[in-house]
This record gives sequence, structure tokens and C-alpha cells, in this order.
Amino acid sequence: MAGLKNADDYAKGEKFDGGGLLKWVLLMAGLGAAVLFFVIYLATGGKESSEVFHKGMAYSWLFAVVYFMTLAVGGIFWTLLHNATNSGWGIVVRRLMENLGSVVPFLFVLALPLIFPGTMRNALWEWFDARKDALHHAEEAANHELEEHRHHLQENIESAEKRFAAIEADTQRDLNGATPGETAFLNRRLEDERAKVEKLKATDLSDGALFGELRDKEFKHTNTNLFKKRGYMNPGAWYFRFVMISLALTGVIFTLRTWSLKSDASGDPKYFRWMRRAACGFLPVFAASWTFLVFDWLMALDYTWFSTMWGVYLFAGAALNSMAFLIILLTLLRRAGYLKEVITMEHYHLMGKLLLAFTVFWAYIAFSQFFLIWYANITEETKFYLTRNTAYWNTHAILFLVIGHFFLPFGALLMQGFKKKPTILCGVAVWTLFMHFCDIYWIIIPERGPSLTRHLGDGIQYIVPGNFWTDLLAWVAVAGIFGFFVLRALGNASLFPCRDPRLDESLNVLN
Amino acid sequence: MSATANSTKQPYAYVAEFESASDLYHAAEKVRDAGFRKWDVHTPYPVHGMDHAMGMKKSWLSAIVLGGGLTGFLTAFVLEFFTQVKLYPTVVQNKPTNLFTVPAFFPVMFELTILFSAFATLFGLLIVLLLPRWNHPLFESELFSKFSDDGFILVIESRDPKFRVEKTRELLESAGAKSVELLEA
Repeated sequence: MAGLKNADDYAKGEKFDGGGLLKWVLLMAGLGAAVLFFVIYLATGGKESSEVFHKGMAYSWLFAVVYFMTLAVGGIFWTLLHNATNSGWGIVVRRLMENLGSVVPFLFVLALPLIFPGTMRNALWEWFDARKDALHHAEEAANHELEEHRHHLQENIESAEKRFAAIEADTQRDLNGATPGETAFLNRRLEDERAKVEKLKATDLSDGALFGELRDKEFKHTNTNLFKKRGYMNPGAWYFRFVMISLALTGVIFTLRTWSLKSDASGDPKYFRWMRRAACGFLPVFAASWTFLVFDWLMALDYTWFSTMWGVYLFAGAALNSMAFLIILLTLLRRAGYLKEVITMEHYHLMGKLLLAFTVFWAYIAFSQFFLIWYANITEETKFYLTRNTAYWNTHAILFLVIGHFFLPFGALLMQGFKKKPTILCGVAVWTLFMHFCDIYWIIIPERGPSLTRHLGDGIQYIVPGNFWTDLLAWVAVAGIFGFFVLRALGNASLFPCRDPRLDESLNVLN
Repeated sequence: MSATANSTKQPYAYVAEFESASDLYHAAEKVRDAGFRKWDVHTPYPVHGMDHAMGMKKSWLSAIVLGGGLTGFLTAFVLEFFTQVKLYPTVVQNKPTNLFTVPAFFPVMFELTILFSAFATLFGLLIVLLLPRWNHPLFESELFSKFSDDGFILVIESRDPKFRVEKTRELLESAGAKSVELLEA
């Protein structure tokens, strides 16, 4: 058919100049905000008047890092999905997904201040301190008990020895003139007593075994929750998981992006086959990594609470909003004069449909999580929603999450025409990203006040005054740095995989 | 006898066969540009972009489905709200019986939205297509029956105001038809 585009005409690809000045402006703005953030953080530390605010800034930084982590991790997900399903439509946007995903390692670096053993870590994840306290208490109690045990044993040995001595004397006396049967009986009785004494003497209380047992018993008594979760929630396992997750996610996107870039240069179809196969194997790795990351970073903000839908809830938001981010990125690139011929309204329509699908998916998961907990009404599960139905947060949830995050974009995206108009679709995408801001904010920030002011009793605060501005400052800081690395990755190679075997299909896609 | 019977027959449509999907696509563009309205194409498999080549407008079906979905949503809400909140307030685990009971209603609202949308799609489609019907004049054509095997068929009906026995045949032939049949019914 006439008018079809030929992939050979596009084999040279399109090179992006890397954003030029904008890239450096973003980096400077981001670094400037980050420096300001940590100056404030250090300045407010160590004073009693600003202690809560100081610790509250840890939540600000976590919020900012998680927000952009979801976007980047979503980029990894779309790359994986695209390769694993052997999709043809989106070859021309796949490089944007890869570039977005490749920012993940830098975000792990930005997360280091939180991970480093110190005030930030302990302010966010109370279980570190709670575990330390519980263990300390358990060890003291165990030592005390062990001392008592030793004392007891000593007493037992002494009384057993006395008894043995008495029996020995009796035996000496009775043996005179005893019949052979009586002699055998008396000797056996003496031997039995001797064995009892030796057994008591052989009891080893210096060994760690009994101490460990006693400590566990005390640990369980002091904090049953942390004791039951001790195999998962201990610093060693936590740091191990952090290292493994950051390596896994980085490795996945690095491998796929490297092959994709190599296929640009050589056009060898073997890379495309490798990517497809590897992506299928990487998907479970990705799913496990992301699930455990959000368990460790977000669910553990309150270690007594749990939700089995937590991983998929955060995943739904990540996939939705990285698609929104990709739509905006694509439109900005086209505004700047790139990808004009390669991308058609059909691609917008397809991406808009995915945006709609994940808007519904997010709502489905978010509602199911709420619904199951609300209906079952079990104390240890409802805690999360109780905190978030208190004071300001109730309005926030209804206004931003129920109406803003679901009903408005759902209604707008149902319109076919809206999905084919970049300006309108971008409007929806910007709105969705703002709603994601509210979603992540609602996940992390309500923990801050109650966690940091619990010890004040009646003076407990749900909102820490002033910390809202540090939340914004942290967001700006991470946004700038994130933007810099996205632009840098975009400038590294052609904006679309220019020699992929399915480029023809993608250029001429109709739906 | 047969001559008189034949004389009552009127031209029903032109059935034209094309060599390939590509030929049919371009022929469709020509027929579209000539301003025909009562015509259709039949292919063994879906041809991407054919709706565009035929100049088809967006279908009304989506509006019917939206209507069905909203009806289902409201039916479920009204049913649950009036029975469980107004007529006979049902207290479960001390949960409120007012508008905030709505999370408990959601599963039913969700299901009925889907059920009514599906019904609207099915019955709406049948109405839009004027189905079911017992027979269709096109089934008389040998040429037409090839569409379910290897034929790329274009049909222009005689009720189209632009239909002219001679001119329309010329149009189809100039568009590259392999064979053209005037179907009478």
C-alpha cells in the first residue's frame, strides 16, 4: 500500500543533543535543592526544639526518592513487558522506556542517606530501634536468668553431694553381714547416687545454647511481633536485600539496554532474540525485587502492619505513572523537533489505552486492598487506614485518591478522541503524575507525625508543621537530578531502536 | 415462464472481486471518493486501516455501551442503597448504614456495570446491524461466497442514490476488479 513508511529510511536513527543547557540547569537546580535540604537537615539536628522536624526530613527524602523510583522502575517494567510479549507497536518508543529505566541505579545512590545506619534510617524504620531495645532487654534478662540457673545448679550439686555422702556412710555400715542380694542392692544404690552427682556437675551453663534459648524467650515476651519476624526483619537481612535488589534491578535494565544499543549499531537480529528470551526470565526477578523493596521501604514504616497486596499496589502506581511520564517525555521531544515522522497519533492512542488500563488496574488494586481490610476489620490490619482516616488525611484520600486518581482520568481516557490528541493526553498525564504525588505522599507522610511524636502522649501530632516545605524541597532536588540523568541517557543513543527487525511494523502501526 | 419470473427481478448490487487486500484497499478509497454510501467490503481476514479507506465514521455502539454501563452502575447503587440503607438498614460489624457504606456496595456495582455493558454491546450490536435475519440476497451470489475463502469482495448496493448500472460497473473495473457480477434479487 502506498504511503507506508519503510524502516530502511530510518536506519540511521535520530540523535538527541542531550538537552543542551536544560540538562545542566536541571542538575544544578537539583543539586542546589539537595544541598539546601541537607544543610537544613544538619542545622536542625541535635536541638530539642527542632528534633521532630529534623527527623521528619527523613520522610521527605524517602518520599522524593520513592516517587521517582516508581517512575524509573516503571520504565524497567515497560521494557520487560515489551520484549517479553514480542510487541511490535512500540518499537519506536521502547528506547524511551529503556532510558527511563536506566536511571534506577542513580536513585539507589540517592537513597543511600536513608539506608546508612543513622538518624534518618532510625527515624523512618522504628523497628531498628525497637529490635535493638528488645534484644538489649532480652539479653539482660537472659543473663540474669542464667545467673539464677547457675546459682540453682550450685545448690543442687551441693545437696546431691551431701546426700551421696550420707548414703555412702549408710552403705559402709549396712554392708557388714549383708547377704549377697543385699550387697548388690546397696552397691547399685550407691552407684546411682554417684551418677546423679556427676550428671549435675557435668551440666554446662557457660555454653551459648541455653543463653540463646533464654534470650529468645525474653525477646518473644518483650516484642512478639519483631520476634516472629526476626528472620526477615534484622539488619543483616535488610542490608543484604537492599544490595541484591539494587544489583538485580540495575542488572536487568543494563543488560537489556546494552543489547538494544548494540542492535542499533550492527542490526544483528540475535540481540532482539536475546532480549525477548531474557525479558521472560527477568520478569519474576523484577517482580520479586520491587515487591521486597516496597516491603522494606514502605510497609516497614510501621513494622506491626502488613498487607499482602502491597507490592502489586505500588507496582500499579509505578506502571501507570511511568507511562504518563513517557507520554509527556514523548510530547516534549516532538515539541523540540524530534521523532516527528516516526511517532504517529496511533502510538499516542496505544499509549493512552495503556494509561487507561492501568488507571483502572490501580483503582482495582487500591480499592481491593482497602476493601478487604475494611470488611475484615481486624485490628492489626486496620491500623494503616485508621491513621489515614484521621484529621486531614481523610479528605486527602477521598479527594485525591478516589476522585482525582481514578474517576477523573478514567472518564477522560474513555474518550477515543482524547487519546489521539497529544495536548489533551499530556494534560491527563500531568494530572495523573500529580495524583501519584498525592498517592505516594499519602502512603509515606501520615506515618511521620504519629511515629515521631508518639512518646509525647497527648501531644501526638498528625502533621508535623513545616515539614511540608521540606517534602517539596526534597521532591525538587530529586526531580532535578532525575531529569538530568533521563536527558543524559536520551542523548547517549538514537531516540528509537533504528535497526530493530520490527521497526517497519511499529512505524506503520494502526489500531 | 422463467422469462417472466426474471423480469420481476431488479438489480440488487454489484459484487466485485479483487486480486489482493491491497487492491481492495485502493478500490475502497475510490468508491469512498465517488461518494457511495450503501456499500461494504468482505475479506477473509481483518484488514488494518480499511475503516479509514472506506471513510467510516466512529460507530454509535460505544455510546450504547456507555449507556448500558451507567445504567448497570446506577441500578446496583439504587438497589443496594434503598434496600440496605433506607428500607431495612443492615448493620454489619458496626459499620455505618449511610453513604459511607458504599465500599460494601462496590462489588455489585462493579459487576452490574460490566453485565449491563456486555448486554448493551450484544443487543446494541444486533440492533445496529439489523440482526437476526433469515436470509440475505448476497447469499445468492457465487462470487460473494468466496469472501470466506480467498476472495476480496466489494459490494455496492443498488439502493445507493449514486448507483448506475453502467457507470458503477465502469468504476469498479477501473478500480481494478478481477470480475464484476450484477446480482439481481
